[in-house]
Amino acid sequence: MTSEQNQSVYSDATQAKGEAVIELTDVDKFFGDFQALADINMNIGAQEVIVVIGPSGSGKSTLIRCINRLEKHDRGTIVVDGIELSDDIKNIQEIRRETGMVFQSFNLFPHLTVIDNITLAPRQVRHESKDSAEETAMQLLERVGIPEQARKFPGQLSGGQQQRVAIARSLAMKPKVMLFDEPTSALDPEMIKEVLDVMIELAEGGMTMIVVTHEMGFARAVADRVVFMADGYIVEVGTPEHFFTNPQEERTKLFLSQIL
Amino acid sequence: MTTETQEPQRRELARPPFYRDVRVIRIVGQALAVLVVIGIVYWLVNNLLSNMDRLGISTSFDFLFGPTNTAIPYHGSFDPRSPVWQMVLIGVKNTFLAAFFGIILATIMGVVVGVSRLSENWLVARLATFYVELFRNIPPLVIIIFFGAAVFTAGPFPIFSESWEFNFPATDNNLLIVNNDRWGIPGFTQTSNLLLFYVVIAIGVIGAIWVWRRRTKNFERTGQPHHRVVWSLGVLLLALIVAYFAAGQPLEISWPVISGNRRRIDGGFIINWGWMSVTIALGLYTASHLGEIIRGSILAVHRGQSEAGNALALSAFQRYRFVILPQATRIALPPTINQYLNLVKNTSLGTAVGFAEITALTKTSVGNGRPAFQSFIIVMGVYLVFSLTISLVLNVVNRRLELETR
Amino acid sequence: MTVVAPAPPRETSLDWVKRNLFRNWWSGLITVILLPLSLYLGYRALRFFFVTGQWDAVRVNLTLFMQGTFPRDEQWRLISQIVIFALAFGIGLGTNSAASHDRADDAGLEIENGSIAGTLARMWSLVAFIALLLFFATTDDVGDFINPFLVVGGAIVAAAIGYQARRLPRRFRNVGWVLTMTFLVIGFQVVSGFDAGGWVPLSIVYGSVAFGAVPVERFDSTWVRLLLRLVALAVVVFAIRAIYAAVDSPGIGWDVWSGLHLTLMVSAIAIVLAFPLGLLLALARRSTLPALRVMATVYIEVIRGVPLITLLFMGQFILGFLLPAGTVLSAVSRAIAVMTLFSAAYMAEIVRGGLQALPRGQTEAGQAMGMAPPTIMRRIILPQALTAVIPAMVGQFIALFKDSSLLSIIAILEFLGVRKIIHAQADFRSIGFAETLVFVAIGYWAFAFAMSRESQRLERRLRVTR
Repeated sequence: MTSEQNQSVYSDATQAKGEAVIELTDVDKFFGDFQALADINMNIGAQEVIVVIGPSGSGKSTLIRCINRLEKHDRGTIVVDGIELSDDIKNIQEIRRETGMVFQSFNLFPHLTVIDNITLAPRQVRHESKDSAEETAMQLLERVGIPEQARKFPGQLSGGQQQRVAIARSLAMKPKVMLFDEPTSALDPEMIKEVLDVMIELAEGGMTMIVVTHEMGFARAVADRVVFMADGYIVEVGTPEHFFTNPQEERTKLFLSQIL
Repeated sequence: MTTETQEPQRRELARPPFYRDVRVIRIVGQALAVLVVIGIVYWLVNNLLSNMDRLGISTSFDFLFGPTNTAIPYHGSFDPRSPVWQMVLIGVKNTFLAAFFGIILATIMGVVVGVSRLSENWLVARLATFYVELFRNIPPLVIIIFFGAAVFTAGPFPIFSESWEFNFPATDNNLLIVNNDRWGIPGFTQTSNLLLFYVVIAIGVIGAIWVWRRRTKNFERTGQPHHRVVWSLGVLLLALIVAYFAAGQPLEISWPVISGNRRRIDGGFIINWGWMSVTIALGLYTASHLGEIIRGSILAVHRGQSEAGNALALSAFQRYRFVILPQATRIALPPTINQYLNLVKNTSLGTAVGFAEITALTKTSVGNGRPAFQSFIIVMGVYLVFSLTISLVLNVVNRRLELETR
Repeated sequence: MTVVAPAPPRETSLDWVKRNLFRNWWSGLITVILLPLSLYLGYRALRFFFVTGQWDAVRVNLTLFMQGTFPRDEQWRLISQIVIFALAFGIGLGTNSAASHDRADDAGLEIENGSIAGTLARMWSLVAFIALLLFFATTDDVGDFINPFLVVGGAIVAAAIGYQARRLPRRFRNVGWVLTMTFLVIGFQVVSGFDAGGWVPLSIVYGSVAFGAVPVERFDSTWVRLLLRLVALAVVVFAIRAIYAAVDSPGIGWDVWSGLHLTLMVSAIAIVLAFPLGLLLALARRSTLPALRVMATVYIEVIRGVPLITLLFMGQFILGFLLPAGTVLSAVSRAIAVMTLFSAAYMAEIVRGGLQALPRGQTEAGQAMGMAPPTIMRRIILPQALTAVIPAMVGQFIALFKDSSLLSIIAILEFLGVRKIIHAQADFRSIGFAETLVFVAIGYWAFAFAMSRESQRLERRLRVTR
């Protein structure tokens, strides 16, 4: 795959809808000798919903984990909400406050109740008072549909409920961008819908989201753009209709034929 | 979709101020910790050296070559004029002997107790449980002193001058001399050079290994039972016999005999009560821990595997031999090795019953004026060597077991 | 016609014997051999305990066993210590039970009710041992003026009173914990003395409380918050120091403690001091900086590879050299120092195991929300890792308790070593060796058995709640 072929789709990735909230420029990432991200150029605008798809090992998770510095990118620049992601701890902490992440394995804190899970960061990081944090937390629990579980422990909840708590937990920090790393891959099929419904409601509410997922129905429903990655490169970008009806690149066609 | 190619801009990552740079923070934080530790260590060592200097104690290891000037109890053949390093070797040898036989006793008893706890016989299971709960909760030192004081010194065995002698049937030779102080068993004396003997033994060991591998390959190829254990042992036995005669019968059995004045045992191999207390006590104590480990490991395998074995029409014995025990061994191995290490370390408690292992000898030596610091460095080194050796064996056996079951 | 499952056949005693003892021929053979053997051994043991044993050696020397050479006219300190510790134990148990109920109620779960009686029933070996002590104490030969029944009774009453702490309203739950710690310190110092140097433990307790509880939420600046916290800390420490300086009542230093009292105290002190040291070692061993990691690993592996008695000997001979010339350390101080350094290495491995078992996602979740590393450690990592390894830490305490018997080899008069002075008395120069040893064994066994049972129970409960 030559650099020129890549260039033809890059400009799509760099055209954001509206003002760019996240800018990635020439980002490379290596794990030892293995290149996980290559020549990533992407701009994401406010209220955009980007769905990232691709085979495993393509770098999709690495991409969003670089955005909140869970992984460190080796080359290029990443700018989130005007703040550049560098070795400056002040920048990193600020970016992490502005981004929320939902993990594949939920990563709820099992020793805290649901409501304590949600209020922990606002109280510790934003120094909110306990009452104000709990009020916000209850509102969020209502929004994701499980206010009655507030005093339970994560271990008592189903997978779908846990993931919804995780979403509420990230929302409690009032982030500008929400990052989703395969949020439904660890769920039993009957629980995927409840989580996707919450995510759709979030998207329709105007949240900027980057979602790594295999759920094509979700992409069709709310994505503004779909990004296909393979071997660390962005291969093709387009609207959902373009993607699923008229993919251009061979690699994209191959991947779609395998999953659709 | 535009097709213009843009020259990608390459910007240098802005350098944050150093006090906010994550790399700097992490390194500085840890470097500080390192400096604090090194500072403390330096201060301690400085104190140590200056104090030793002040009191005129040398920091060299020369004392190892000076005479010991003490006799070691129950080691009549040790000349007090021998250099200290020979005393150290005797300590190491005694520690090794106690550990070696202690481990054997503990393993046998541990397997018996562990399997017994799972027995369907109510009496056997209860007795085994009683044994485990009793020995596990008593300090090993108390058990050692119990054996030393209650079983030997003040126990049922007669005093030395009235030893019980058990003859080898139909001869006048003593198979066993029993009393409350030191026992005699037959030993070996060397009558001529052992070099040829060892060489032939070594050849025999190589041959046994070769036979083992050949029989195993043969089994894999043809499915014939390999009987490799019998074959290898047979080869070893043959080598032993050949070596013995080829080297001109260099070893002779020496029978223990009570001396004329009934104050010594001449000949044979003498084991003293301190050694016996330590070995038996530690064997029984460690066996209680091993029993629990073995029971736990069998239970960890037992459930699904037994059903599978039954479904395949294996007999109970076959089920244990081919399915349960191999897997249980893998699970039980690391904690078992840990217990062996504890046993080796617990031999140091022999100090309390006058058993001349390395710690006891070092303590008397230091009490007699030898430099404490160097002596204890040596002792620690000895135990660390034991620990490392046993851990190494663990790693090798672990890898071997993994390969076989893959 | 409904079909009812047939009731299982009632088993007669004969059936039970056949099934459990004579299931097949070799089982029967083993039974036939073992049963008479164990009955005989049991008979000999009972004969020893009740007929031929010279238990005077224990009976007369009971006080020596319990407190050794502790000055007789200061025994009130020991009695007070027992009662105050019982009070602290009650408060702690009550607060813990209430906290568990709080969480369970919130979560809609059912949990069993704890009680003092229930705990005592589980620790039957300890109760039996104390009953044995009381039995020995009631005989005429004992010439002590304290009535042991009063002591035991007082302790039970104190524990029951303390247990009422569970009735405290929920927002005072933390008060319960602070009270537990306070009484533990006071109980300890009622023996060691409230002199001017004793301000440290209570300062740590109340200092941490003040540090954490200062209402700093109104202020946004990190520096202002830190300043306020430090001021609160300083005020508390200053106040406590002043109190101690004013009271300044000396006690009995631990050099004079002996017997079972010393055994329990040494184990407790060493474990408490070893815990923070072990935590630091575990963190160092997991550090990314090689120097720190190597040093921690070397320390841990060397200490774990060497027997305790060797380290104790080294402590006796060398510890003095490691400190500036002229510092004098008593034998007990040296022993406690060595036991602490020894335990810290084992604690470090235990804590490390707990840290390793925690999935990395927990740290990442905290990082993703912008929490600072110390906060992540304090709120997310350590609570989970440490609670997970509590059973292992209790096991370590039991091991340390048994290992304290080694102090007898370096001539310290703890529970095992006190036999030396018992048998140095003219009356017991040559009788009672076995009896005193068996008594010591029973004492160790009673404590260790009870503690290991509790630890197993804790482990089961922890596994259920995960």
